[in-house]
Amino acid sequence: MTDGLDMPRRPNTTDRLGTSLKSLRIVWRITRLNFRAQLEYRSEFLLMIAIGAIWQVSVIVFATVLLTRFTGMGGWASQDVLLIAATRMLAHGLFVLFLGRVHGLARHIQEGVIDTYLVRPMPVHRQLQLSVFPTNAIGDLTVATGLMVGALTRSQLDWNAARISYLVVCVLGGMLLEAALFTAVACASLRFPAADYWGRWLEELLGTFGSYPLNVLPRAVGGFLTFGLPLAFVAYFPAAVLTGHGGDSGVPYWLAAASPLVGLLAYLGARLLWRWSLGHYSGVNG
Amino acid sequence: MSGSIQVRGLSRTFHTTVRRPGFAGALKSLVKPERVAKEAVCDVTFEVAPGELLALLGPNGAGKSTTIKMLTGILTPTSGEARVAGVVPYRERERNARNIGAVFGQRTQLWWDLPVRESFAILRDIYGVPEREHRVRLGEFDELLALSSFWDTRVRHLSLGQRVRCDLAAALLHDPPVVFLDEPTIGMDVVVKEQVRGFLKHQVEERGRTVLLTTHDMTEVERLAERVVLINHGRLVLDGTLDEIRRRFGSTWQVRATLADPQAAIAPPPGIALLRREGPQVVFGPDGPGAPTVHQALKQVVERYEVTDLAIDEADLEDVMRAAYVQAEAA
Repeated sequence: MTDGLDMPRRPNTTDRLGTSLKSLRIVWRITRLNFRAQLEYRSEFLLMIAIGAIWQVSVIVFATVLLTRFTGMGGWASQDVLLIAATRMLAHGLFVLFLGRVHGLARHIQEGVIDTYLVRPMPVHRQLQLSVFPTNAIGDLTVATGLMVGALTRSQLDWNAARISYLVVCVLGGMLLEAALFTAVACASLRFPAADYWGRWLEELLGTFGSYPLNVLPRAVGGFLTFGLPLAFVAYFPAAVLTGHGGDSGVPYWLAAASPLVGLLAYLGARLLWRWSLGHYSGVNG
Repeated sequence: MSGSIQVRGLSRTFHTTVRRPGFAGALKSLVKPERVAKEAVCDVTFEVAPGELLALLGPNGAGKSTTIKMLTGILTPTSGEARVAGVVPYRERERNARNIGAVFGQRTQLWWDLPVRESFAILRDIYGVPEREHRVRLGEFDELLALSSFWDTRVRHLSLGQRVRCDLAAALLHDPPVVFLDEPTIGMDVVVKEQVRGFLKHQVEERGRTVLLTTHDMTEVERLAERVVLINHGRLVLDGTLDEIRRRFGSTWQVRATLADPQAAIAPPPGIALLRREGPQVVFGPDGPGAPTVHQALKQVVERYEVTDLAIDEADLEDVMRAAYVQAEAA
């Protein structure tokens, strides 16, 4: 068993840069083609955008009621609460756009699509993300942008460069944290496809509790959404730090302020778990 | 690069929960599940030489697909070793992917919403095939598989035959030395099947690709494979040429003789059994491992009895394989 054992040369920095650029070009090309393919089915395309927006109707209703009927919630001014909702929505929209295909992985497993990804020289995770253009993300992001514009225009805060930069980093951290949670569910799906239902529950939970200041919830629920399912790090803690509620958010200020880092670390951990799970993938039907 | 496949003692065990019958059994399984190990592939050893087409055969659930999945890097074996073109597929999945092409007959590797040609272009970029080379290869595949009449159609609108032809082309666009085909012609009409067989023959004979094929279609085996590996219950039952298999399992002939004297006493020659007697017609078949060939049997029957009519039913490859499966099952 010795034929063809030509060991590959260890790539240097230039090689890696070249490979990354090539990968980016391929990702862009596939995304462009997938988007164009979706555009060609006009009605389907518009329906998908609409469903993306309508899916967030509870957030829109919540924001409307909050701004028209209440002056605040749990010691938070209504415009600050709106910032939580907007941050979560934007993080969610970006998650759907860039990393959302991990949600619903069971279908790919049942149909054996994962098997075809495994016989191509490209990371399976990337192929999964490039499997289809998420048109519904346009609806999500439209609603999210509208909410964020509304939250920022009503905000009394001084939106200087540092605060805006922190908000941007928090949105990205929130996106990564949501991706980490769904990636963990996807890892479970690789072994037990029925775990996909947990993804639906997770989506429901994020949509239901993600827009509230968690101090209005019972302590046990707040604790669970902080340390059990770390939903609080997506938008609640970042908004608390930005609006001056960081000291009474229920965790040390530094931890609340480090939310984007928590998101990043959680995502890196989830990707390691993904890699391990894929190595132990046993497919369906043997 | 050498396109050989080497498999040594390859095994894969799956752990499943025993399903107990009835509602009470289901509840019991829920509370106290009984886990069992199922050996899907057990200690399988074989080699495929560069430029050879090997048919991996066996009844449903025999372990063919699991074997292919381990050789393509989809699954990691529980024990044993495999090398495909010098690469251990489950350790270096992406490197192995560059050396192989794979077609799984029941699923596509093309982008569902894109026209086929755009899927080809994406694969060209993924594998880094130079544009000129890509164009030449696509032209060659078009000539053999008549793809251009539908390659601007989205995959979701293709018929099964068109889709599998495109999948075959997609699997070979990067010029891999080794190709895995898991029931590539399943559900196709005879015309397309013939076209695909011609294409595969060309790839082996003209391009020197190594092909590992699983199929239930014995015509396909007869047309394409010189060598066959038969597995059953995950174990290798037989590894040999088609002639060897025919010799070993193919003696399922029947000789029907109409005797001039319907009352004549029948005492068949050694190695030949009297299967039944229907009036003047008697039916002989092989008896045991020392049975003669159909032609020797025919000669002996004619010499021994006065016959007015003769007919031979000789087993085709399908019967031969059926006999092989039955014997493997009994063993």
